[in-house]
Amino acid sequence: MTHVPTLAAALAVALIPAAAGAQSMSPMRGEVNSFTDAFAVRVFPANPYDQKIKVEVHVYDQDFQPVDARISPSVFQLGSQASRPVLVVVPFGGAAERKVRICTESIPFPNQQTQIRAQICGKFFGHRKS
Amino acid sequence: MESFRAAVGAALLAACMSQTASATTQNVIFNGTVNPTCTLVIATNGTMTVSPDLQSLSSHNSGGSPGTVTLTTTGGVSLSVDPVTSPTVPSADTTSTTWTPTYSATGAHSIVETGSATSITTPGADLVSVHLAGAKGGSNRFASGNYQATVTLRCE
Repeated sequence: MTHVPTLAAALAVALIPAAAGAQSMSPMRGEVNSFTDAFAVRVFPANPYDQKIKVEVHVYDQDFQPVDARISPSVFQLGSQASRPVLVVVPFGGAAERKVRICTESIPFPNQQTQIRAQICGKFFGHRKS
Repeated sequence: MESFRAAVGAALLAACMSQTASATTQNVIFNGTVNPTCTLVIATNGTMTVSPDLQSLSSHNSGGSPGTVTLTTTGGVSLSVDPVTSPTVPSADTTSTTWTPTYSATGAHSIVETGSATSITTPGADLVSVHLAGAKGGSNRFASGNYQATVTLRCE
């Protein structure tokens, strides 16, 4: 069981995009086959602003209910025009397949009267192979 | 013998000259895949002002302004706003408020102001205006003090 994250991380390599430029998050779609009880996705949130922003990564199910996934890191500061990898390991929870949304969220200009939270969500489909 | 050699050489030369040099071409194939992407860049936050009857606190009211966001996408995505949760209100405001976030877009896509999800199928860039309206019913009124709310604009 301890090598599940390692195997899952290896599977996530298939989803690494060739380049992660000035996008809010890439990829935004993915399908993963896993031989373990979890599947992993590596996403690349990016900061298109000219200032450092706080970024949070969350995982939701089809009904936007939070999913107990392991996100590394889940909250971080991202420099201007920068991008960084985030590894998300999602348990199947006994199911043969699972659809989740992985969302990158940020409020670049907090402490305003009406603030806008930008949320970019990717849709990912994990299949458990036996 | 000399004349025979000369004749053979001339014949070979003539044969070679009649041959055209054949050029070869080879195609170089390039492949590329553009996956669905979406970038939201918040330009400005919004401002809400209160109506003369004190029952509306909205970015639509006089002096109010929407938040503006630049959307750039390949298409194949959906744009939506979430219901407002946990707004901050002054302690003097003890009555309920109905908060309604909406958005509209101009540019490559024209989206009439809506609170529902919009499917964007084609690529392009847009300026998205995000509005928020708070409303009180009956005899309830907005109180003096600071109000703050967060609207989540989602691209997926």
